[in-house]
Amino acid sequence: MAASVDFKTYVDQACRAAEEFINIYYETMDKRRRMLTRLYMDKATLIWNGNAISGQTALNEFFEMLPSSEFQVTMLDCQPVHEQATQGQTTILVVTCGSVKFDGNKQRFFNQNFLLTAQVTPANTVWKIASDCFRFQDLVL
Amino acid sequence: MAEEGKGGYSEHDDRVGVVGGGGSFSVRRRKGRGPFRGKMYSEMNHRFRNRGGIGPGPSPRLRLDEGDGDVLMSDAHDGSRARHMPYGPRPNRRAEDWHDRDKGAASSLQASVKRNQTVQDRSGATKTKWFKVTIPYGKKYEKSWLLSNIQSHCSVPFVAVEFHQDHSRAHFYVEDSKTAAALRQVSRKIIDRDNFKVVILVNNSSPPQSLQNELKPEEVEQLKICMSKRYDGSQKSLDLKSLRTDPDLVAQNIDAVLSRRSCMLVLLRIIEDNIPELISLIMSHNKLYRLDEMAELGQKAPNLKILDLSHNELKSERELEKVKDLKLEELWLDGNPLSNFFKDQSTYVSAVRERFPKLLRLDGHELPPPINFDVETPTTLPPSKGSYFSSDDLKAPVLRFLQQYYTVYDSGDRQGLLEAYHDGACCSLSIPPIHGNPSRNTLGEYFKDSRNVKKLKDPTLRFKLLKHTRLNVVAFLNELPKTQHDIHSFVVDICAQTNTLLSFVVHGIFKEVDGKARDSVRAFDRMFVTVPAVNNGLCIVNDKLFVRNATTEEIRKAFVMPAPTPSSSPVPTLSAEQQEMLQAFSMQSGMNLEWSQKCLQDNEWDYGSAAQVFTQLKVEGKIPEVAFQK
Repeated sequence: MAASVDFKTYVDQACRAAEEFINIYYETMDKRRRMLTRLYMDKATLIWNGNAISGQTALNEFFEMLPSSEFQVTMLDCQPVHEQATQGQTTILVVTCGSVKFDGNKQRFFNQNFLLTAQVTPANTVWKIASDCFRFQDLVL
Repeated sequence: MAEEGKGGYSEHDDRVGVVGGGGSFSVRRRKGRGPFRGKMYSEMNHRFRNRGGIGPGPSPRLRLDEGDGDVLMSDAHDGSRARHMPYGPRPNRRAEDWHDRDKGAASSLQASVKRNQTVQDRSGATKTKWFKVTIPYGKKYEKSWLLSNIQSHCSVPFVAVEFHQDHSRAHFYVEDSKTAAALRQVSRKIIDRDNFKVVILVNNSSPPQSLQNELKPEEVEQLKICMSKRYDGSQKSLDLKSLRTDPDLVAQNIDAVLSRRSCMLVLLRIIEDNIPELISLIMSHNKLYRLDEMAELGQKAPNLKILDLSHNELKSERELEKVKDLKLEELWLDGNPLSNFFKDQSTYVSAVRERFPKLLRLDGHELPPPINFDVETPTTLPPSKGSYFSSDDLKAPVLRFLQQYYTVYDSGDRQGLLEAYHDGACCSLSIPPIHGNPSRNTLGEYFKDSRNVKKLKDPTLRFKLLKHTRLNVVAFLNELPKTQHDIHSFVVDICAQTNTLLSFVVHGIFKEVDGKARDSVRAFDRMFVTVPAVNNGLCIVNDKLFVRNATTEEIRKAFVMPAPTPSSSPVPTLSAEQQEMLQAFSMQSGMNLEWSQKCLQDNEWDYGSAAQVFTQLKVEGKIPEVAFQK
């Protein structure tokens, strides 16, 4: 019984973190792109339509050359990731779908999957992106 | 929309891509950089005669060309025509004035059965009567079931052209009024499983879209070869000047008329698939009179800087609007009627500059420097790539896991998935937001379980929709519609890995095989978080499934089996059951389709004995590595 109460707390926490996260993430992506990599862990990996980008420097370069964007998120879901997978570090899975218009390109639909972890320091707790997987729905290969 | 425009080509292209073709282009999925070699300028300035007024839209000519195409292809197969006179005085009728072609085409007339059914209209051009056949609620039937039933009730044999389903209906086209009348008689004669009478509506129609796609796969292949000869890799320049009179194409009787929508779309497709790095494109002397189809060029060849449209039939500067997304530095427009409409050079220049602000040269003249500010605004997206596996060490176990998982998932009883999940696993499902009444939506089946925390604010409901613990997860999955996944559609991204975690996302296509949405094709994205299990296996701790309706393009590409081997072309086509068996066998054995088919064929399509033979040979190590290469 106690365990399931705990799990419900995790679920609540995951939802709140996810909601706040997507507001900040897409707002930063669209309007303050330069700050975006601060949402990623130092060793985070982004898989963008099959292209892998790892680490702060590469991510910075990648986001700099990505055309300016207008994201609209229509679906959000999240789950607490099982502790056995994360060695006890609080982690959630966040999934979104929606549409994006990149400057000079037509509007397209996308799916995006994140793993977020809570980085606990003595001063505070900061959520960061550990991994990010982005795909257009109309995959053109 | 682009997808719409690409239309029927994708099917052809896919086949070409898979079979490998004989051309010097690389296989389509490899995103270009094909071994383009050499350069051959076709400088043969054959004079075109004035084609007169030809408007957009399907002209009577289109139908004729299709008929000719059939005949000509068989000619091309025996090769005699091609061998006899590649550069000669070209007595074949392609070289004649194509305005008068019908009169001169005696030889093809007798060979073409379709011709007999054509009627002469007042303008002197020939025209075929087309009828569109609509089956309301036809979407719920399998194509083969529907067509074979109609055929068995229909008094005349017919060919269903361009069968497709949209909304709830099914459609196809037939060619003459006799067939149309016969089909009308079939209406309400067929009774389906649910005891409904199948209604068939038949209406006059313009020729179907696919018949306007005049180039056949073989011809597309020839066009590719021709283009590769005309491509200068060092300059990234493609010279399509007077493409229609290219000796190679003429010798093969391929009518590459770039002012035709279908032809231009094929061309753009070839560029997109093979030379997206293109910088310079020469399209002079091609009788282009509109640029609508070229609107997509900027997306197909994002680096294009030089465009030569000189000596075409462009009549209005407004045509330039359609291609103004191109970031051109150099443009050639001389020899087009539009340049006569400007009172002086400076109005001309400013009209062009208005569309291409960064243009440096027009018709070979340097322009005043463009207005620039030192701010870069990128508009090019990185090209999309296929699966990302991070390393080969991870690829194998993940693919094996997916094969096993979806074999059970599609088996009709998902209870067996219990083994795949961790005791404390969780799982949730989402669909895109539905506007209007969910029960009317084809995704309605999933609606009650859809967890979208953007819309759903009630914590209790949020909690309820997240399935937690192994038993609940599998019970939930067991309730979802029965499916068949197209494992060949899968694109897999491995997005995170640590000693204790492996997370990947699968994108793919499945269809429902049961219930009221039977045969509906869906696309899905599914994120798994797994922990290591015994025997290098994976144990799911998190499972996040997203389901949406597949797009028309995805439906077209779904469940298309690659042709077994190009060399064994006379192989009889496989029946639906054989196709299904083949896919299942390939998935279970891990062998590619070619070898799976071989194994099944050798065992007379007895799945059990094929599996037995496979297992035995595998144990004995007698199956070569190549059998498992996909």
